[in-house]
Amino acid sequence: MDDNERDSKYYGVVVTILLLAGLGCAIGVVVSILAIGFLEGISWMNAEFLISPHERIQLATSPLLLSLATVMVPAVGGLLVGFMVYYFVSVRRPLGPPDTILVVQTRGTPHPLGSGLMSTLAAMISLGCGASVGQYGPLVYLGTLVGSLANHLKLKIPNVQAICIASGVAAAIAVSFNAPIAGMVFAHEVILRHYAVKAFAPTTVAAAMGFIFANVIFDRPPLFLVVFEGVQYGYEFILFAIIGILGAFLAVGFSKGILACQKYANRSRIPVVFRPMFAGLVLGLIALQIPDILGIGQESLRFATIDGAFEISELTLIIIAKIAVTILCIGFGFAGGVFSPILLIGILFGALFGGILDELNLIGHSGVVPYAICGMMAATSPVIGAPLAMILIVFELTRNYDLTTAAMVAVVFSNLIASRIFGRSLFDVQLSARGFDLALGRINALISYDSITNVMQTEYARFRPADKIGKVSFQLAHIGRTAGVVVDKDGFAVGVVHIGDCAGPPPTTSLEAVMNRETIRFNENTNIGEALEAFRQSRYEVAPVVSSQTRQLLGVVFESDVINEYRNVTDRIRQEENEPV
Amino acid sequence: MNRYSVLVLIGLLFWHSVSFGKDDELIVSTWGGTYEAAQNEAYFEPFMQTHDIQINLKSYNGGITPLQLSDNPGIATFDVIDLTESDALAACDNRLIAEFDRSILLPAPDGTSARNDFVGDSLFKCGIAHLSYATVLAYDDRAFPNEKPNSVADFFDIEKFPGKRAIQRTPKGILEWAMLSYNVPARQIYDLLSTERGFKLVTKRLNQIRDHIVWWESGQEPVELLRDGKVVMASGYNGRFFEARINQDIPITIINDGQFLELGVWAIHRQARRPDLAAKFIAFATSTERMAAFSNLLPYGPTRQSAYERIGLHASTNVSMREHLPVSEYTSYRRIRADSQWYSGTETIRNRWFDDWLNSASE
Repeated sequence: MDDNERDSKYYGVVVTILLLAGLGCAIGVVVSILAIGFLEGISWMNAEFLISPHERIQLATSPLLLSLATVMVPAVGGLLVGFMVYYFVSVRRPLGPPDTILVVQTRGTPHPLGSGLMSTLAAMISLGCGASVGQYGPLVYLGTLVGSLANHLKLKIPNVQAICIASGVAAAIAVSFNAPIAGMVFAHEVILRHYAVKAFAPTTVAAAMGFIFANVIFDRPPLFLVVFEGVQYGYEFILFAIIGILGAFLAVGFSKGILACQKYANRSRIPVVFRPMFAGLVLGLIALQIPDILGIGQESLRFATIDGAFEISELTLIIIAKIAVTILCIGFGFAGGVFSPILLIGILFGALFGGILDELNLIGHSGVVPYAICGMMAATSPVIGAPLAMILIVFELTRNYDLTTAAMVAVVFSNLIASRIFGRSLFDVQLSARGFDLALGRINALISYDSITNVMQTEYARFRPADKIGKVSFQLAHIGRTAGVVVDKDGFAVGVVHIGDCAGPPPTTSLEAVMNRETIRFNENTNIGEALEAFRQSRYEVAPVVSSQTRQLLGVVFESDVINEYRNVTDRIRQEENEPV
Repeated sequence: MNRYSVLVLIGLLFWHSVSFGKDDELIVSTWGGTYEAAQNEAYFEPFMQTHDIQINLKSYNGGITPLQLSDNPGIATFDVIDLTESDALAACDNRLIAEFDRSILLPAPDGTSARNDFVGDSLFKCGIAHLSYATVLAYDDRAFPNEKPNSVADFFDIEKFPGKRAIQRTPKGILEWAMLSYNVPARQIYDLLSTERGFKLVTKRLNQIRDHIVWWESGQEPVELLRDGKVVMASGYNGRFFEARINQDIPITIINDGQFLELGVWAIHRQARRPDLAAKFIAFATSTERMAAFSNLLPYGPTRQSAYERIGLHASTNVSMREHLPVSEYTSYRRIRADSQWYSGTETIRNRWFDDWLNSASE
């Protein structure tokens, strides 16, 4: 390498670093402002539409109006959300973290900007009208929207879209939790799924910007503040682990409930447009009795850390009701995430555990706070699949080392169990239902998601069953292939032929006699992973791709192309995870 | 000093009543006692001297009833009024006071614009906040020779700090303190107080001191109760406790934790006879120099930064005033900022809860 070459390389690196840091900074600023707008918008709507207790109590003297609002606001909001999502979001469902993960992992094209914006607006209305859904999922998608705009800049940096989306997500989480470290880690743990240096810098800068905006410029209140003196007895860590284990089951039950409800909703006779309205109506009716389940439930979140704020029976009731309405709201199409509801369910569950401990009065313990926090983290981390980020959120929110250590124990056990019996996260399970299974590892997930049609060829050796094998072997040799497809007069693939099949019998033998009818056949839904496995079992280097509908031959796939595609994917992943800058 | 001011005041009132109806006359409605005496020294006297305008005073004890409009415009019984924050909001909503023209406010001596000099929440639609005052918890130092109460939680801790507590007979302040004693962050207090669960927790806390409460109604009572040893702790106004300590040598110590802050607001009546003079007076009284002069008499926090920087020693006793202010940048204590909108919206429900609790107490 001569001096000039080296200089230009260093110059390139410096430019890339500056560009990425600048991008991270810009994305951080934009996402922070939008995210704060989003959160403020929700607060404003909650106040105007009588969702937040602060306003509800001021109308306590007119109970009829209050009841009417309680039932009508979520229902009308649901109707609005139903229309927005059905008519203005391209995929006719709200967008969220799974979509972000998919775009980043597959380097795919994000959903159209309009769809993203409409989905975000629908989430704002859902939350503003008190639907029991989360605000962080939509915020993550907001980060995705801003990050994906970077692709329009036509920068010549490999994988810039993924890095920018991750930066957007990091900023969104940093703003909403006042937790920059957790934001940065969340982007890596949930979105990028690797810790390459190249992505590290911009996501960190973006998260820091988010923090500056949330804390220094806008002075947003933290999600919760707790005072905790420290864990008093060593054996309590065993209890934290038990909360972790129980929390795992809670998380799995919650996640499975959502998936089941989504399936049920799809089978139900209620038109898609009106499903959120139905959920809103049910929510409102239950909220007449249990107002705690409306919206994000910031107040209940706080009460859960106060000793004696809830009776055990109340806690049980609220937990069950909150799980039920959240599953209903998400399953029936309200736009919003699962993060905030499971935070609340988890913290109430932790408080319940602490309350029962108190009731039994068998052993001394350090009050309800550590149990509530452990419950919250144990239930949340398997749902969103971010154990590290959750531990850091506890640390950054409470700035309490003891609490963080306690939460860590619970999170570890919870994730261990939940990943065994369910999967890494609700997002991953949802993606796997869409054919992208990250549980197989990034490479396998990608090749399983990669359709065979991407490597399918329409030019290939094509024979009739009546062709003579002498002519077949000549033609194959002529085009430099070892195998071809045999097609009947109607265009159906009836078999494949290998050049070796033609070597023994006399050249005038008709192809029909030697061709292999039991060949592997692919269709347009076959993925690269499956093709790779099928070729491994077969001695033919070619396989016909036939339409799953018409059985017509669409084209053929060569083994070498499949292997090349596999190599491309692995090369890309290796590069992404290891490239310095 | 105190007595002197009162005498001057009475004299002024008498003299002014003679000159009632004079053209350049401004009527200011404000709270009496020590507070009014300090205002007289810091605001009214200097204004009359420099502007050759008479100021007449009209006594006021809160609420918006005295502001009701009359059918004839221009015959309000006063021009300027010193309102509490929640009354100012209510009066503005009911269009009893005029919209406030911020352009009349004077810049700070160093040229900083009024907008930047006044603290964030002091600019009201219909008025300008001129001071912050605190309702605080305090204790009789003689009652606790060893460990002293130090937090709001201590106020509710009968075992650790036994003795009677004097509390204002109103569902205000005590709600916040009860909530704060659960270590709820100050800015979340009203959200939690808006729920049934919040009131349940407050009730639970109050039940702990139920048999140890002495109720007070007028602001001077807690001082007297503490002075006479009838209670060991009390809620009350920071200015009065300060006065008692400084001028009357009563050993009252204020607990810095959980000070309950409200703002005092100057406003102009919508039917003021002399809105021009009223504006002139407010501009004068909210100048840096005058605000600082007032805060050197009574420990109420000025609402402009430049005035805060000019606060020094008490006018007659050489006590450093800054550390007695309810708003001080040096303290890291928890403070409760009264949510006046919430207060006006929850009047009925708070009173109903309070009455229920009082009745259940007497059973």
